[in-house]
Amino acid sequence: MTLGDGVKAAALLFVAALAQVSIFSQVHVFGAVPDVLLVTIVGFALLRGSVAGAVGGFFAGLLVDTATLGTLGLTSLVLTLAGYWIGRYGETTGRDRGHAPFLSVAVVTVLYQFGLLVVHFVLGESAPAGAVVRSLIPAILLNLILTAPIYALVRRLLRPLARDALSAEVQLLG
Amino acid sequence: MLASSVQRSKSTPYPSKARSALIRRAVVVVLVLVALTLVTISFRSPTSGALHSVQGAGSTALRPFQIAATRVAQPFRDAYDYVHGLASVKAENKRLRKQNAALRASALIAAAKLAKYPDYAKLLHLERSSRFPDGYRPINADVISNPGGPFAHTLTIGVGSSSGVRMNSPVVSGDGLVGIVSNVFPDAASVTLLTNPGYYVEARDLTTGVRGGVVPSPAGGGTLVLSGVEKTKVVKKGDELVTNGTHSARFPDLYPYGIPIGRVAAKPGATDTAVFLQVQVQPFANLGSLDAVAVLVPKKSRR
Repeated sequence: MTLGDGVKAAALLFVAALAQVSIFSQVHVFGAVPDVLLVTIVGFALLRGSVAGAVGGFFAGLLVDTATLGTLGLTSLVLTLAGYWIGRYGETTGRDRGHAPFLSVAVVTVLYQFGLLVVHFVLGESAPAGAVVRSLIPAILLNLILTAPIYALVRRLLRPLARDALSAEVQLLG
Repeated sequence: MLASSVQRSKSTPYPSKARSALIRRAVVVVLVLVALTLVTISFRSPTSGALHSVQGAGSTALRPFQIAATRVAQPFRDAYDYVHGLASVKAENKRLRKQNAALRASALIAAAKLAKYPDYAKLLHLERSSRFPDGYRPINADVISNPGGPFAHTLTIGVGSSSGVRMNSPVVSGDGLVGIVSNVFPDAASVTLLTNPGYYVEARDLTTGVRGGVVPSPAGGGTLVLSGVEKTKVVKKGDELVTNGTHSARFPDLYPYGIPIGRVAAKPGATDTAVFLQVQVQPFANLGSLDAVAVLVPKKSRR
């Protein structure tokens, strides 16, 4: 990843985190909140791999926790794992697949919701499992709706890398 | 062929790839550990400490960006709120309409019950007063149907033989005599009103003691006539008439003594050639719109 890419990615995630905290967190549709930041991280991780995804997720989560004055590191932890996992998927089986962003967003939305739930539960904070389960389907649908435009934007800003550059240790046959 | 050896590609070592995997895993582990450390510190001292100060400073630094983002999004939020509000208002309107209809129905039922209340109250008052005839017990009944027109002089009540109603039982309202039971079914009965042609009840003027027979007025109009009063007797306008009751045990009257029938409506008169006075009587009971009546049945069954 070049320096220019890094700056672009930082700006993108910064804007996405701010938009999430300031705007989209107040949009409630059937109990669910559209997660622009998560979708952006998914797009970023798919295009730039697991390490970039994890780092991006970490700092974006840190930004969210700072802006919302929440427990610092909590969102970072979950988004780091999400970014890493999606990055790995992008480096391996999800590479060049048209449905990869949508599948990633759908799966990560579920894992992210339950991940946050588990972390909050472990910390002894309010963890309403029922509300999370009820809002899961609307959350997935909302994020899927956001996926196409956000992924297109991320792809426009960060051009896909060559296969070798994306992951050195994975070799695709055929 | 099976025996022939297959040429396998020589496994290529990927020293740079292995290193890359190591770095990747190390980065993730470090990030997770840092995140966990931050969570721990933040959780342990949520209101004080260096991390808290850093977070506060970061939040302050981010505030202008947040405000800017909010302002940029404000028109879109307003539009969304407008559309959402519109949808909510429509849904609420629908719900309120439904609720309004239910409340109207409830109010109507309550009003209908309330409209019957005066009749029930009067009836109860009569039954508890000293005017209620001795030796009788009331069987209270709702009026199912009132007279259907000017030529109808019967009404239907919601009690019948299963409740103890029998033929020729007197029927009263809170105001006075209504009529007599003329047909009995298990759970309903017909009541012939005072105004029915051919109806007759022995009456007594409470003021003067004059006796006569109350019959429907030939002119109709829901009024009665006190017949058989000789011209020599005195009956005044406003005198109250009650049932005369039984005077001979051999010939028991259908009506017990003292049930209010009506009031003399006009000054009695008579032509020179007439033998009896013409006494017009206005019944106490409002026979056109009754809601509740009581059937009087003897406490001891007649032989």
